[in-house]
Amino acid sequence: MLRLARAGAERVSFGFPPREGIAERWSLFVGATLSVCLGVALVQSSLLLLITAATMDTPGGLSPTERLRFDDGRTAAVSMLGVVMGGAAFLAIFIISSTFAFTVDQRRRDLALLRLVGGSRGQLRRLLLGEAVLLGTLGAGLGIPAGLGVMAVQAWLMRRMGFVPDGFHGQWRMWILGASIGTGLVLAVAGAMAAAHRAARVRPLDALRDSGEATRVMTAGRWILGLLFLGGALALAIVAPHGGPAGGQAMAMNVPLCAAVAAAAFGPLLIPAVARLIPTGTGGPLGSLTRANLRDGRRRSASVAAPVTVLVALVLGQAGASASFTTSGIEQLRRTTAADLVVESSGPIGERIAAVPGVASASTEIELPAQITTGAGEDRETSTITVLVVDFAAYARTHPGSEALLGLDHRTAATGPGGDISAGTTRVELPGLDLGDLPVAAGVPAAVSGGADLLLPRGMVPPAQLTSAPSATFVRVTPGTALPDLTAHGKVSTVDRWLAADAETRGSTSNKIMVLVLGLGALYALVGVVNSVVIGAAARRREFAEARVTGLSRGQVIRAALAESSAVSVAGILLGLVAAGGAFIAVLNTTAAVTGTATLDPPWTLFAGLTATILLATGVTSVITSWSATRERPVLLLGARE
Amino acid sequence: MTTTVQTTAAVSLRGVTRTYGRGSAAIRAVDDVDLDLPRGGWTAVMGPSGSGKSTLLHLAAGLERADAGRVVVAGTDITDAGDQQLTELRRTRIGFVFQSFNLIGSLTAEQNVALPLRLAGRAPRRSEVRSVLASVGLADRVRHRPRELSGGQQQRVAIARAMVTRPDVLFADEPTGALDSTSARTVLDLLRAMADAGQSIVMVTHDPGAAARADAVVFLRDGRIVDRLAGADTHAVAERLAAWER
Repeated sequence: MLRLARAGAERVSFGFPPREGIAERWSLFVGATLSVCLGVALVQSSLLLLITAATMDTPGGLSPTERLRFDDGRTAAVSMLGVVMGGAAFLAIFIISSTFAFTVDQRRRDLALLRLVGGSRGQLRRLLLGEAVLLGTLGAGLGIPAGLGVMAVQAWLMRRMGFVPDGFHGQWRMWILGASIGTGLVLAVAGAMAAAHRAARVRPLDALRDSGEATRVMTAGRWILGLLFLGGALALAIVAPHGGPAGGQAMAMNVPLCAAVAAAAFGPLLIPAVARLIPTGTGGPLGSLTRANLRDGRRRSASVAAPVTVLVALVLGQAGASASFTTSGIEQLRRTTAADLVVESSGPIGERIAAVPGVASASTEIELPAQITTGAGEDRETSTITVLVVDFAAYARTHPGSEALLGLDHRTAATGPGGDISAGTTRVELPGLDLGDLPVAAGVPAAVSGGADLLLPRGMVPPAQLTSAPSATFVRVTPGTALPDLTAHGKVSTVDRWLAADAETRGSTSNKIMVLVLGLGALYALVGVVNSVVIGAAARRREFAEARVTGLSRGQVIRAALAESSAVSVAGILLGLVAAGGAFIAVLNTTAAVTGTATLDPPWTLFAGLTATILLATGVTSVITSWSATRERPVLLLGARE
Repeated sequence: MTTTVQTTAAVSLRGVTRTYGRGSAAIRAVDDVDLDLPRGGWTAVMGPSGSGKSTLLHLAAGLERADAGRVVVAGTDITDAGDQQLTELRRTRIGFVFQSFNLIGSLTAEQNVALPLRLAGRAPRRSEVRSVLASVGLADRVRHRPRELSGGQQQRVAIARAMVTRPDVLFADEPTGALDSTSARTVLDLLRAMADAGQSIVMVTHDPGAAARADAVVFLRDGRIVDRLAGADTHAVAERLAAWER
């Protein structure tokens, strides 16, 4: 068809795509272009922000401590943007490829006609891939400026949430032009390729009659993809409890992604089966029509439900896993903190507090940034971490489970609850002070909520280093005495209040991270959902007209389409819930393995809001598209002119 | 793979069998059929519903693959032809007309007719395409899209599309089945004129009036050829069909 566009004036000219074709299939082309545009915008923005954060220069004039804290913050921002980038890439791959596959699938009949009048398989493939190249390039072209807008929003969010310094802005890189166009092109072509191959392979008569090979909904590719990702989800869920706190969390957070792809691959089998079980609220002939359409349009239903499943699995699974690990971390901290009061101040104030009448014991934990170097030669690696300077004996008394510290001398460092450092030898540099190679012994078990990676004994760090560093002192009160007045030493809280404030901070940080990681991605997936409903309805004008000449009113046709769309959406949501459930199982097993207590904190309010949003979006889209598709009098669509 | 065969027939079937389904649900739609359809003649295929008429036509046109037997179209054995050979065949040797027209709705009449030539790598002249449309009486409808045409006009565009490649054989599956009597007569007149000009035509129909316009009628029942008539009128064809339907 691309070649047809070059016909001369005296030749029969087709244009590409034919003007009328655009008018009839505008929703397919617009939908495909939009999916590329937003996907490219999201990936480009995340990539530019990631590069900007990774290459961010440390500002001049900072003290050594501030410099290390800046480095630590940069590392955290880069890690987070890495996750944002991963999520954006996953969504772009999924939404773009499934949208392109859907648009090809919706045109089976036209493609069969081309085959019947002499079109070869190669010509069909070239036509569809040519379209994918055109729409992919167009979408990417629009996605590049859109990506700048997305980048401004993402950078604003990161600044507002305190993950990056105030002056942080994403920086443009010239090479991103090629990267963005390439991303759009590759994803569009990859999405269309499998569908084009399949459309070209089906025998024309089968495609025209929708029989034989054309009716097969589960292709070998779908089975392989589904089983592969199902296996991946199961493997992650099984291995997560053995991955430690950090590894286990990462694996559990990825379970819903794999499970969602598997659920989408098995969609043609699962979605219509589940959707038919859902009461549509329309009885009688309309109910029968809705059920028949669900049975008949298996591929359409699966394509419409796929982004719904991914959206629910992604948001519910990841937000649920994140909230559960935060709750588990808070509970673990509560169990491993044996104190009555906490004094937040700076410097080593433990001795002074211990001297106050009524204080049985006091353990001061002083926080410092540090740079550590592990390995040697090519494996040599330097990173910025947080260390706690503590009195091992006092720490062990305050934090049950840390008794291993009691046997360590003042020349040995110990692994902290952060869990990123293993026992061995590590070079440690504090701000302005090189401690040299330190032996590191196993100290505190890794905590779900993380924390300092290294514990240093008080005697190892000169007092001058500690004076202005933030500290928390855990105080045990002598039984039977009134609570001592420690306000002269810093901000005093009861342990319960301190834990509650800590939990709120952690919860708030966790929510902010989820908003950053999922916010725009979820919006993109929601656009993908609306897109698929529009594309699904685009090819149904004739079917709607047939229903109307059979006796259905326009309102009844719209109601039947709405009932069908809602049933498919609910089925997609349920499958997403199942995929998120996989993450929840991994969360339960991981928290049980790490903390001894299985913890799950599913975000039901978020789920309710998400379900309502999806049903509203698909419902409104379905009504608008079916209303639009039934505007013409049915006889004009079905009957030939006299 | 295709091989060239010396034959005077436009279409030749030898021992052709096609079965649908398996085991107890198997239906033999075409059962060991031997048939030669003459070059330059118009043959109608009739039979009761489910007798295998359309399957026979699809087998003869290479749209279905036979389970057994051989199919030769315009001297080319297509029994074992691969997809590429069958595509070439559809482009150059075969024209096909369906009951439901099957025009591409987004293209004009002129573009629909030009499509097979474009797919074959040719850039047809507008005059060439318009003359084919004029030959089916649609010189004034070249820029109309299918939805702007009557059923009869759409079928004539479909015939023009099938004829634009000057095929050896034109296959027509119930070409008047969806048309009113006036439009049907126009289409049959067109086919008659084409046959008189030497075009080989094979047409499936259930309408004795349509079959009577052909040079010969072949009757099919339970997938087998059970009777033939040549030069019969509508009444004779209807009587013979009724006899086989009893």
